[in-house]
Amino acid sequence: MSGGLVARLRKPLQSRVDLGEVLAGSWAGLGAAEVASRPALLGGSAVPLGELFEVKGKPAGRLRFEGDLAMADRIGAGLGEGEVVVDGNVGDATGIGMSGGVIDVHGNAGARTGGAADDARRGMTGGELMVRGSTGPEPGSRMRRGLLVVTGDVAEHAGPGMIAGTVLVFGSAGRAPGRWSKRGSIVALGRVEIPPTYRYACTYQPDHIRLTLLRLRTRYGIMVDDRYISGLYRRYSGDLADLGRGEILAWTAE
Amino acid sequence: MKIRGVLIEDTFAEAFTMRVARLIITGRSVRWAREATLKLTGFATSVIGCKCEAAIERELAEDETPDGRPGFSVLLMTMSKDDLPKRLIERVGQTVLTCPTTACFDGLPDAPDRVGVGSALRFFGDGFQASKVIGGERFWRVPVMEGEFLVQEKFGMVKGVGGGNFLMLARSADAALEAAEAAVEAMSGRAGVILPFPGGVVRSGSKVGSRRIKSMIASTNDAFCPTLRAITETELPDGVNSVLEIVINGTDAEAIAAAMRAGIDAACRQGVVAITAGNYGGKLGPHHFHLRKIMAGAEA
Repeated sequence: MSGGLVARLRKPLQSRVDLGEVLAGSWAGLGAAEVASRPALLGGSAVPLGELFEVKGKPAGRLRFEGDLAMADRIGAGLGEGEVVVDGNVGDATGIGMSGGVIDVHGNAGARTGGAADDARRGMTGGELMVRGSTGPEPGSRMRRGLLVVTGDVAEHAGPGMIAGTVLVFGSAGRAPGRWSKRGSIVALGRVEIPPTYRYACTYQPDHIRLTLLRLRTRYGIMVDDRYISGLYRRYSGDLADLGRGEILAWTAE
Repeated sequence: MKIRGVLIEDTFAEAFTMRVARLIITGRSVRWAREATLKLTGFATSVIGCKCEAAIERELAEDETPDGRPGFSVLLMTMSKDDLPKRLIERVGQTVLTCPTTACFDGLPDAPDRVGVGSALRFFGDGFQASKVIGGERFWRVPVMEGEFLVQEKFGMVKGVGGGNFLMLARSADAALEAAEAAVEAMSGRAGVILPFPGGVVRSGSKVGSRRIKSMIASTNDAFCPTLRAITETELPDGVNSVLEIVINGTDAEAIAAAMRAGIDAACRQGVVAITAGNYGGKLGPHHFHLRKIMAGAEA
């Protein structure tokens, strides 16, 4: 990512901080000082982002966070535009309720990544969220639209209550993926436990997965092995305890 | 003006504004991508009888297509913007949806005017269809007996040019055909250009209307028919016994002019007497391709 703003952590975080308001609404045209004045919640009190981060650069629709943000929650919550890159780990609820733009985490992410707020019917409604690492439980919960990619493992419960959209996991998709999914797609390139409420349909080559994986290569530079692009996938329909129009597409070496 | 002894007549081709879509058709192999493409572009020589004009623009390598499979790009053109989505839906639905392994993508992603194609074809899925938004574009997954048919929801539509042309006036049918084949070879595979007639060549050039039947839109171009030389107002020079035409459509006038230049140059060979072009006096079509301007610098 060239150009744009850079927010460098001034000193390691000692307690959890909520960055959910920093990129809410329109932000892509804001300058460094304006972004620095946006509120972060530290210990229940609002402080300007600039107290925690040194914000530099010129607005170009891009913001790069630098530093270990494992204690920072709700980065990019409700994001609707622009590109946010995080060089390192992030806390919980990254990108919850995002509707557009890109979040690209070069590290691990916590629970409910790309998920929904507790009181929200929908999680992500658009945009693309990359986690170049592993996530905690319940990534992509109640997703309505959008793409969540996890290059590592998911702890458990990937995509609970998905309405639509795609959660793509390169590593282990964990226990009980896709519970209560209506139309969502969970794409498992690694190990996956198919829940009993999913039913095997067929083994085939889904063209949209090929399209998605090629995009991950070209747009994000993610290494995608050819065997996944041209390979076969076992399709399981579910969650049959709900609408049952969702799917788990599990790559198979057969 | 003469090129290698072939007269380039001081005239122009008269062409029309049309609406264009570019389709990218891919398949598991070149064979199946081609099968769908040939069906889609079949019976699409002239809007007069086919409602649209379409042809392969060029073959695409795997790294040139959205899904990394072999494919073809096609230009499909209509006279009106209302016709374009109708023809796309008919043809993609009947020839690509039906063809094993294929998928269909928009080849004009930057065109602001978008027409629904997948958004209509999805209904074949009878409620079992599903969509995916990938890179900001929506695609429809239509379940079919083979697996799934993937088609982009909307296709770009731009203004293009249809009816660029030139005629090769030759001493014999063999010479006319050789010249036409050489011209097509030189014009094929160019971005933004298609030759919608069989093998790129037309033998039945037409004039507007009919001498005898008022309802006919077009009838044979008797002034260029060698067999009628003695009984009509012929425009054939002495020694000409066969004429073939190449019609060129494209996304823009510059692409057509460049293709015409290459084609005419290739057609100037032994056995060809003259190169001319079809027009309507310049009153019907806004695009005029003057042969001598196009060929300026190629004189020899």
